[in-house]
Amino acid sequence: MATQNQYQWRRDKDGLGVWDHRGKVAVAGYGHSPVDRRWDERSMDQSLGAYTILACRLAMEDAGVTPDQIDGIICCDSHIAGGSGGTASNWAPRPYFDPPYDSELGLTLINGEWLAKVMELPNVRFAPTGVPTIGEMVGMASQAIADGKCNTCLVIYPTGNLEGRYRRGGENADDYAKGARQWVAPWGNHGGNDFINIFPHNQYCLKYGGTHDDLAPFVINQHRNGLLTPWGYNASHGLEQLTVEDYVTSRYILNPLRLWDCDRPVNASAAYLFTTAERAKDMKQKPVYILNHASSRGTARSLTPTLDEIQAETGSTGRKIFEGAGITADDLSFENMYDGFALFHQFHIEGLGYRGMKFGDALDFYQTDISIEGPNPVLPSGGNIGSGRSRFWMHTDCIQQLQGRAGARSVTGVKPEIAVSGGPMPMGGNFTVWSASPD
Amino acid sequence: MVILISFDIDGTLDIGDPPGVLTMDMVRIVQKKGFLIGSCSDRPMSGQQAIWDRHQIPVDFVVSKQMLPEVKAKFQADVYYHIGDREDLDKKYALEAGFEFLWPHEAIEMPWFVEDDKPGGD
Repeated sequence: MATQNQYQWRRDKDGLGVWDHRGKVAVAGYGHSPVDRRWDERSMDQSLGAYTILACRLAMEDAGVTPDQIDGIICCDSHIAGGSGGTASNWAPRPYFDPPYDSELGLTLINGEWLAKVMELPNVRFAPTGVPTIGEMVGMASQAIADGKCNTCLVIYPTGNLEGRYRRGGENADDYAKGARQWVAPWGNHGGNDFINIFPHNQYCLKYGGTHDDLAPFVINQHRNGLLTPWGYNASHGLEQLTVEDYVTSRYILNPLRLWDCDRPVNASAAYLFTTAERAKDMKQKPVYILNHASSRGTARSLTPTLDEIQAETGSTGRKIFEGAGITADDLSFENMYDGFALFHQFHIEGLGYRGMKFGDALDFYQTDISIEGPNPVLPSGGNIGSGRSRFWMHTDCIQQLQGRAGARSVTGVKPEIAVSGGPMPMGGNFTVWSASPD
Repeated sequence: MVILISFDIDGTLDIGDPPGVLTMDMVRIVQKKGFLIGSCSDRPMSGQQAIWDRHQIPVDFVVSKQMLPEVKAKFQADVYYHIGDREDLDKKYALEAGFEFLWPHEAIEMPWFVEDDKPGGD
């Protein structure tokens, strides 16, 4: 059942034309676990495995699907804290619990084979390994349904966090920054992640004017939308609305990147039920249709992407997104592009040409009405910044808005008809066009 | 003698995430004794203030981690303490700002946190 992931599913070139399967794949349900700051390593009903099982059950229930109908599982098997190793990613080696938690699987790691077994899903025939992160998973799932690899597929993104410093182990905790890391990650993960954000951001401000703190309305808006997401970390943990003063007085992580430009690692899981548009019509919820998925796989010339490289890539990404969906930027009701750091969301939306934006316009755009009540909603999901670093808010919000299930977070200044989400990075990721209608 | 105490929140106070060993009642005790008190946390300043308001503890300041020098400049005290649980975000900032530094498990032993009418109070 588990197959090594060599499936060529990406649409990553300009000029591919309208996606052959436009409007023929749909999402019929979703499910979320609670969003905790971290797993306490004791509560078995709050492990990443338990939360993933819960999210899957809720997604199946939402869609009205029974376990025997699931024939595909696409699950990212590298939990989010793990990429850079270290204390925040390693639960083991310690004594394991009773089955099914007698291995790392189910505790801090999840894969399709484990899920099919513990959830007793007897008919799974497509459960690849090596599944990429959430931006790409949605594209992979869309293409897998379109290609007939499976018909009723759970798409799962688990994000783990344990006590300890997130991504501060392994070579990030080393006293030495070796090789290229001496230039881009001299202080560990944050040196690296932050540098690739501040360098093009500073280039941007030099070229177009503006300052870092012009991001404040965007970040404040993210926190506001996050507090309108009841199961998000901020809303479910009683956090206060961030103010402009809070933002501009927060400490620098790496000048000019401020604390509130970053997202908060969490322990949570989400699941989506993908199927054919035809089957979705008979399920419980109003289907949300996939008009296109497009990949970006840009490479930098040197150690870190420059502004011109980022703009070339996001411009190409925008063209691929719209070409495959058969739409233009004017057709977007709203956007939910990735916000893992506040500093690069502007690159995504300028590449899209969202609301007629050109390169260099975003900081001014942020000073206008970007709220869910206005005509130009920016990230109504609130994203990672507003609800925790789960990476899935952007997709869930598109689904909810187009189904009319976004509650207090519903966009009211526009009619929710077509939306785009995806990421993570401007130089690389996968992007999805969602629609309330298959046409 | 005027003593100023800056409290980190997460990992230091019992209402923090993760909870620390210092209780809000301990904070009330030093506040009633006339200490200058406040919080210095990575939480938003408005969020810090909301915590103190919820617990009905009047504080003299709420600041972000990097703002201890401003606290020292603003308040005249004989000694300045910062209590926190992180080497990099508490101890480092505190010492650089000219504060004395205490880990929560050290602070809890201080006589300040014992009510004056109880044995052990000074």
